[in-house]
Amino acid sequence: MRQSADSIRSRFLKFGIDVPIEDIESRLEELVANFKVPSNEAQRSVTNYFLKKYSIPKNEFYVRQAEPQLTKIADFSENGQWTNLKAKVIQLWENTHDSISQVGLLGDETGIIKFTEWKNAELPKLEQGESYLFRSVVIGEYNGRFQVQLNRNSSVEKLAEVIDVIGGDFTPIARESELRNISNLLGGQWATVKGKVIQLWENSHESIEQAGLLGDPTGVIKFTNWVSSEIPYLEEGKNYVLKNVFVNEWGGKFQIQLSRSSSVEELDEDIPVGTSTLNYFGAMGDIQTGSGLIKRCPECKRALIKGVCAEHGKVKGEYDLRIKAVLDSGISTQDVLINRELTEELVGLSLDSAIAMAADALDSGVVLDKLKHELLGRYYNVSGHKFDRYILANSITPMTSLNGELIEEMLAELEVD
Amino acid sequence: MAGFFREVARRVFSQELKDSNLASRDENDQYAPQYVLTPTGAKVNRIFLVGTLIEKEDIGTDSEYWRGRISDPTGSFLVYAGQYQPEASQFLADCELPVFVAVVGKTSTYTTDDGNVLTSIRPESIQQVDELTRDLWVLDTAKQTLERIRAVEAGEDPNSKLAKEHYFTDTDSYRVMVKKALESLKESEY
Repeated sequence: MRQSADSIRSRFLKFGIDVPIEDIESRLEELVANFKVPSNEAQRSVTNYFLKKYSIPKNEFYVRQAEPQLTKIADFSENGQWTNLKAKVIQLWENTHDSISQVGLLGDETGIIKFTEWKNAELPKLEQGESYLFRSVVIGEYNGRFQVQLNRNSSVEKLAEVIDVIGGDFTPIARESELRNISNLLGGQWATVKGKVIQLWENSHESIEQAGLLGDPTGVIKFTNWVSSEIPYLEEGKNYVLKNVFVNEWGGKFQIQLSRSSSVEELDEDIPVGTSTLNYFGAMGDIQTGSGLIKRCPECKRALIKGVCAEHGKVKGEYDLRIKAVLDSGISTQDVLINRELTEELVGLSLDSAIAMAADALDSGVVLDKLKHELLGRYYNVSGHKFDRYILANSITPMTSLNGELIEEMLAELEVD
Repeated sequence: MAGFFREVARRVFSQELKDSNLASRDENDQYAPQYVLTPTGAKVNRIFLVGTLIEKEDIGTDSEYWRGRISDPTGSFLVYAGQYQPEASQFLADCELPVFVAVVGKTSTYTTDDGNVLTSIRPESIQQVDELTRDLWVLDTAKQTLERIRAVEAGEDPNSKLAKEHYFTDTDSYRVMVKKALESLKESEY
């Protein structure tokens, strides 16, 4: 009993509090002797009583008691291990969950590890690029990888010294991901990509700023610019270098994500898109709804539906012309997107005339009717980049003559029989 | 768009479509598309044709119901358009004859009391076109028909085999049909 009391007393002494040994002893005595409490339970109960009495926060007391070892990232070995860690915050990520306050990557000279700071840890915000001493963090395992959890028992202390990170300074601002061609992008990696925005899409999700297609000479890829990236709007037809974008795979296709870690610069050069153009020959079998005179949101260029942009609500739209066509070869069908420039050329109808036509008729449907009237049932050669189920037309030309050789060839075969 | 595909618009001359009497449909699914298998093995649900609209008549009793006859080098197609094909009905009501037209439509079959199978076409779109487009269609259809004739003769493709079993297809007569169509093109200048 005396020994237990001494141990409790010495732990409180570390906090600068001299608890009279008689007080500790009599309380332990009472619990163990009179109330049949097991010794270790009694010790804990008594300790808690004095913690309360002297207003010492429980977690602080216990943490100081069992100060974990300072460990390097590469030496983390066990799920559930408590540790102290000196590391630099090398990246902060999009926070996806309400109960998480921050998530990102920590690095030291031995490795890089993901960290999660829970909201109830009530720790100050970590800053990217700063180094900290993390006390009493827990190593967790998720999907076969270790990560660091900052919880209510953890504490954080900003360090004046800068922690070196393995592989040099990894901070994205200082270090760029490798520049890659679109056709060489692989899922799960960070990359820097140079390309031309060849199309912006209508999209319906409020957390997406923009989605569309980016092309370079090797291919075309979907990109998503999240609202939280705080990257300004990309414009169709302009060329950019997209730094530190994340490549992931969705539905069997790669796409790139622009997040807060990414940055974008406009380029002066004109990047040619896609050497792998596709040709298709067929009759125009259908012109689909959403073709003709449409309105786009002035901010994000999405097509409006009944004057409403999915992202920006009711806006004063800007007119545009386009065709969503189906070409049909008799063997297969091919969806084709035809932009305003090509539409104007193909139909001989300028955007302004189309607007005037629609105004005269008080109905933009007349433009669609005209397109159908001019194009349906005619044969066209189209070439462009294939994306998804569409060919994005670079050119579309009507057939202007019969192939006489083909007729002679076939007749020759039929004569022989 | 998984699971969705657009029916290809087949190229078949009117004579061959008239000769067709094998309709098929998945009996277990009332929404399954209906197909007509032609003697050269074209499995037709949607059809694309270009020809000369030579007759039109409103055969409707209560509301307008238009029948149009469209000729090609081998015979003629019948197209029917009523209130559910407003654009096509409008076109047939307004147009002057004769006129080159391009039609994209769905085929449907009807069996008469004496067992004849008639195939008609319900247009999705009907547009006036020029002579060149008509000639391009004849060439296109001749080419695709000849390819199907060769496939029937080779007997490899399942549709070709099925067509041959059902119709005992005399490919020579269809070669003559294709030849006739091609020769009509030589009269135009190309």
